[in-house]
Amino acid sequence: MEVKNWAREFAILLLLMLLPYVAVSLIKQTQWGPILSTPINRQLGQSNAKVVIVEYSDFQCPSCAMLQPTIKDLLRRYDGKTRLAYKYFPLKMHKNALPAAHAAECASEQNKFFPFSDRLFEQQKAWSTLSDATTSFVSIGEEIKLDLEKFKACYADPSKRAAIMADVKEGQERQVNATPTFFIGEERLVGGVLGTDGARVIERELRK
Amino acid sequence: MTVTPTPVNTKVNTFEIVARWLIGGVLLFAGMSKALGPAAEFAANIEAYRMLPSAFPTPLSLILPWIEIWVGLFLITGFHTLAAARAALGLFTVFIFALGSAILRKLDLNTCGCFGADSFSPQQTIMGDIVLWGLCLVLSLKRVVRPWLSLDHWLGRS
Repeated sequence: MEVKNWAREFAILLLLMLLPYVAVSLIKQTQWGPILSTPINRQLGQSNAKVVIVEYSDFQCPSCAMLQPTIKDLLRRYDGKTRLAYKYFPLKMHKNALPAAHAAECASEQNKFFPFSDRLFEQQKAWSTLSDATTSFVSIGEEIKLDLEKFKACYADPSKRAAIMADVKEGQERQVNATPTFFIGEERLVGGVLGTDGARVIERELRK
Repeated sequence: MTVTPTPVNTKVNTFEIVARWLIGGVLLFAGMSKALGPAAEFAANIEAYRMLPSAFPTPLSLILPWIEIWVGLFLITGFHTLAAARAALGLFTVFIFALGSAILRKLDLNTCGCFGADSFSPQQTIMGDIVLWGLCLVLSLKRVVRPWLSLDHWLGRS
């Protein structure tokens, strides 16, 4: 009788342990949507570079700002061999992230995406808590000598957010949930892991 | 002489079932969200708390979701309820400690990393965790008289 109980208990234990494992194996997404081409204005590095670092990033995310020197360092170390492709991924929890991305897209139209985004990250603490950060964005635009009339007109046009939404959709299809998320080849690196594993993954991609 | 069950017992059992299902449901959902998402993302969430040496986040990101799933499932089905409730108490203690420490150190976390995508902020999550911790504590301290709607009851472990 005791053996029967023991066997029943063991069978239940096995079932409870295996059931979720089977469910996760069946449901888990193992193939992701493609990375679509990124406008040339949002790419940094040589166009014929072998390795592309695709970054899904949010201008209001502190980790994204913190990792900027790491990205620049990798691009310098592998100059000519790597390039960066920037994708917008403003998180809902950051209220100024979408307006900042919109402003950056307007700077991108004037071929000044990276000077603008660098300053957005540098001055992140100043504008991220504002209820309306428009003045900060305009002031950055002025600093990097954008055509302010064009910039303001673009910033007032909600249709300019289409490129941002397309990047967000692409990121979601690749199961991007946190920022910054990087793809080097098919390898996903999230947050500070770029600093510890980035060089290794780039080297591996270069050997291919 | 016949002994009739008192209404108090019924209330206690109802509480136990609701508590078990609530805690178990939250843990199961949290574990599944992480297990179904990319492990690299959860590893980065753990790393963002800056509490562990750099070698720990990746293995922990692979193990922790499964612990949550199994403890949650054990609570929902009422299998080794007392042990599962104590394990859940341990988990929530760790979560509250980690979240509290992140809040005190003013770490600006994107998400708490608790439910995979679009998680709540650490401030929101710690409130819920404290409530669930309290429920776990009550379950852990009790001797379950009649854990109905549970495998323990079916196996005669009342």
